[in-house]
Amino acid sequence: MQKSEQNTPSVFNTETNQDKLSIYGTKLDSRLFVGSAMYPSPQIMKEAIKISGSQVVTLSISRQNPHEQGGHGFWSIIQSLGVHLLPNTAGCHSVKDAVNMAKMSRELFQTDWIKLELVGDDYNLQPDPIDLVKATEILLKDGFKVLPYCTDDLVIARHLVELGCEVLMPWGSPIGTGKGLMNPYALQAIRDRFPETTLIVDSGIGLPSHAIQAMEIGYDAILLNTAIAKANQPVLMANAFRKSIEAGREAYLSGPMAEQQSAQPSTPTIDSPFWHYSE
Amino acid sequence: MQAIKPKIAILGAGLLGRMLTVSLMNDFDITLYDKDDGDAQQSAGFLAAAMLAPLAESADCSIEIMQMGEQALSLWPEFLDNLEMNVYFQQTGSLMVAFEQDLAALKQFKSRLKGRAFQEMDSQQIHALEPELNTSFSKGLFLPNEAQLDNRQLLEALGSEIKKHDINKNNVVWQYNANVEVNEEVVLVNQKPLSDFDWVIDCRGVGLQKDLANSDSSKELLDGVSPFRAVRGEVIRVHAPEVNLTRPVRLMHPRYPIYIAPKENHNFVIGATQIESEDKRNPTVRSVLELLSACFSVHRGFAEAEVMSIDSGLRPAFLDNHPKIIQHKNRLTVNGLFRHGYLLAPVVVKACLEVINCNNNKLKPNTESISNLPGLVVNGNIYKKATAVNVEMVS
Repeated sequence: MQKSEQNTPSVFNTETNQDKLSIYGTKLDSRLFVGSAMYPSPQIMKEAIKISGSQVVTLSISRQNPHEQGGHGFWSIIQSLGVHLLPNTAGCHSVKDAVNMAKMSRELFQTDWIKLELVGDDYNLQPDPIDLVKATEILLKDGFKVLPYCTDDLVIARHLVELGCEVLMPWGSPIGTGKGLMNPYALQAIRDRFPETTLIVDSGIGLPSHAIQAMEIGYDAILLNTAIAKANQPVLMANAFRKSIEAGREAYLSGPMAEQQSAQPSTPTIDSPFWHYSE
Repeated sequence: MQAIKPKIAILGAGLLGRMLTVSLMNDFDITLYDKDDGDAQQSAGFLAAAMLAPLAESADCSIEIMQMGEQALSLWPEFLDNLEMNVYFQQTGSLMVAFEQDLAALKQFKSRLKGRAFQEMDSQQIHALEPELNTSFSKGLFLPNEAQLDNRQLLEALGSEIKKHDINKNNVVWQYNANVEVNEEVVLVNQKPLSDFDWVIDCRGVGLQKDLANSDSSKELLDGVSPFRAVRGEVIRVHAPEVNLTRPVRLMHPRYPIYIAPKENHNFVIGATQIESEDKRNPTVRSVLELLSACFSVHRGFAEAEVMSIDSGLRPAFLDNHPKIIQHKNRLTVNGLFRHGYLLAPVVVKACLEVINCNNNKLKPNTESISNLPGLVVNGNIYKKATAVNVEMVS
């Protein structure tokens, strides 16, 4: 009998301890990606990101006059956190804009990661699936590691995977709505069909319960911004999301019980009759 | 025989520099150094809308700023009464509205107002309050205590007060077009070191940045407290004779809250973007479109308004977006008022006066102590009543 193993708390000795998220081969412990916009102050942003445990922070540069490094002061605050930067192409409406923005981001931040976001509708910021596929192809050929923000359309997902995307980021619901998973069925279908692809729910997550729901069905990570930044206490909410995503992941790995139609007593007593009730 | 007054150099003649000069010139000999030529056009306070709206601001700022803004608001009427020139000051509340698709933002905002005075409004009540507003607003929040003033009138009134005092008492010098640099121990004005001052108060706002770029030591001094940055803002001024809005209106929107602040004579200030960039270029097409389409959506009468100016500027900010007073020997750095210059200036000025008075035996404190200011850090400590008494000289 191996005594040392027996004394170790079981949770640290299971699969979860070696359980890593893979982004094009980069292994990460945290499964929460956070955005860097809309916090009451950079100080609160820093505290929220720290407590969230996140190792990947997204940032949008389009309005900061990146040509002249206008956002340098702000970027250096994020860089001081020692996290992976995930620049995005938010606000780009065409393939050309998105590709240019991606190239500029790569130069500025020395990273080939890009969250590819192509706006198809101005008001709800729904991604344009057709241009997304076109831009993904160009960027992958150019050596980028593309993390495409897409809808929950299975066929678009297939096109992206066939092009070589190792990560997909379907929406839960439109950006900033906080409505959670609008179509769990579609998200589940993508999960089932692409078991090897890293899947991240990006946008629409408003509550930790939304995040946990996505993690329980086997999504690999969650990307969110508004839910933390616009909470009345962002740091507290960041902590809540960290816990929910850890819980959701552990629940998924643990192999949840199957749902039952009728009640099943968890402690049957010797004198309680059972089968005949169903007659 | 007249007692010799202690001497103070004030660096920067924006809102803070002017308010400090006016508050100190009876007890000190003042020299005011500024890069401008006296009209404050290069200062952040020249572009601001000067809304004194602590609750409305709290949609996007910390609760501490809101609390300090509430205290500051109560100080403005008396401060303005003591000025010779009239400054437009209006306290008729502000109105927050949202289009149907953005009502969640309004709901979220309401959850931040616990314990504060506000009134929920339906479309009829909104109409009664502002009859000309677009009738499609079904819900709104009225914040009855909020105020605003005319920033340019105030800057001018403060300037004229200072000039008049100089003529009468001859103890204020206002040096225009001054190139100020602050190094580790020395303040250089037009490359000559400044000496013989009992106090130097540095309130150059974004002007502080060039020192941080040039000098390691001053960077360290500030880094110990908080990194300093500039945040871009864009603002539009229009003259709209056909529009009669009587109080500031804020349009909630998930991405950019926009206000329309009516000043005297049908002049309106529409602002402001808030972009984490130190970009000094003119306003972008996107920002201008956002601001103008927002005001047009609130009132169609803006269609024929005359655009008076479209400006961009930089706001000085520390990491937490809270103001700070940092003492280094006899030099006070007062900075970081961010987008809350007018909202917070009275309490920041009062806290400065306390630091100076309490550290200078030649003067008796002449200000009533303000209560705790949770968002103001003085020498690394949260400002508390009479904190200043305990402030020790940093050497």
